[in-house]
Amino acid sequence: MIPVIGLVIGIAAGLLFKPTVPTDLQPYLPIAIVAALDAVIGALRALGERRFNDRVFVVSFISNVVIAAFMVFLGDQLGVGSQLSTGVVVVLGIRIFANAAAIRRRIFHA
Amino acid sequence: MAAPETPERAVGLLEQIADTALDDDYYVVRAGTAGPSREFNTLLTGLVLAVFALLVAIAAIQTRSDRPATERERATLISDIDSRKDLLAGREVSADRLRRQVADLQAAVVGVDPAFEELRLLAADAPASGPGIRVTAVPSASPGGTITDRDLQILVNALWYAGAEAISLNGQRIGTLTAIHSADSIVKVNYVAIGAPFELEVIGDPDSLEDRFDDTPTGQLWEQRRRSAGIRFDVTGSDDLSVGAAPKDRRTIRRATAIEGDS
Repeated sequence: MIPVIGLVIGIAAGLLFKPTVPTDLQPYLPIAIVAALDAVIGALRALGERRFNDRVFVVSFISNVVIAAFMVFLGDQLGVGSQLSTGVVVVLGIRIFANAAAIRRRIFHA
Repeated sequence: MAAPETPERAVGLLEQIADTALDDDYYVVRAGTAGPSREFNTLLTGLVLAVFALLVAIAAIQTRSDRPATERERATLISDIDSRKDLLAGREVSADRLRRQVADLQAAVVGVDPAFEELRLLAADAPASGPGIRVTAVPSASPGGTITDRDLQILVNALWYAGAEAISLNGQRIGTLTAIHSADSIVKVNYVAIGAPFELEVIGDPDSLEDRFDDTPTGQLWEQRRRSAGIRFDVTGSDDLSVGAAPKDRRTIRRATAIEGDS
């Protein structure tokens, strides 16, 4: 129940306050969200496999977001542009799909 | 699919990523009675999910609010381009109109003033036609058979003396600023290189031109050279000759100004 309330509170806060992202931080936001999504899907799968651990979830969430943002920053500094971000998105995308597939198998047995 | 217990089982990089999609920490069973909660329904989870939802909401709102700005920018640029195109078309039309106007005015001025037309003829500013003589000079290989810029200067000078009104040498009109000179043994008229055969079109009274030219020392000299050095030198009368105008840069005055009241 608490997680659902958290989700609702987050969305409501975003819609109510409409915070604007500073221009300097704008490139990091999309990658950070993909990384966070990876942590969330992983948590859902762990939940299904009865392995969920809230500490692991929190740590993986924060480290995912921070590392993804750092990769984008590093790509900018190295001059490789968005290519490093592309790598991050590919790896996270594969992980998200793999975890989603595991969840799907557990639920539908297919 | 049975999740691999160790990441070493995976071979390729992508397979490894897919096989270890779930963080290994989830598989580690911590010892101790005070182990971490396996409960999903905790405040910590709720807090993290709230942050996640906030991030997604912010990004969505940002993208949504950015889109109209981008669209507006695009539309502004397009309308800018359109208006510039219109402006350009308008300018082209007016330039065309002005060009026609200039041409009309020039035609009107030229048509009205015969003195101006005569001056233009005199200054080699306008093409001219009329009766005259055609002089052809071709050098020969024998000694003394070359034709130099000096020979052509003297020839043109003698033709002026004989009563020529307009002369062109190999298509180059002799104007008031025309020089005949040679550079590296190449004869240049109006700074344009010309070569043998040298053909002069001379407008004037054909009969008197030819007679008077033959009487000048120059005419006699060329006649003598024709006989002794094998130079080809022909003078033929013609009823219908035409010469072009001198090049623009050979009839442009920049420094000289007319003195008032002296005509």
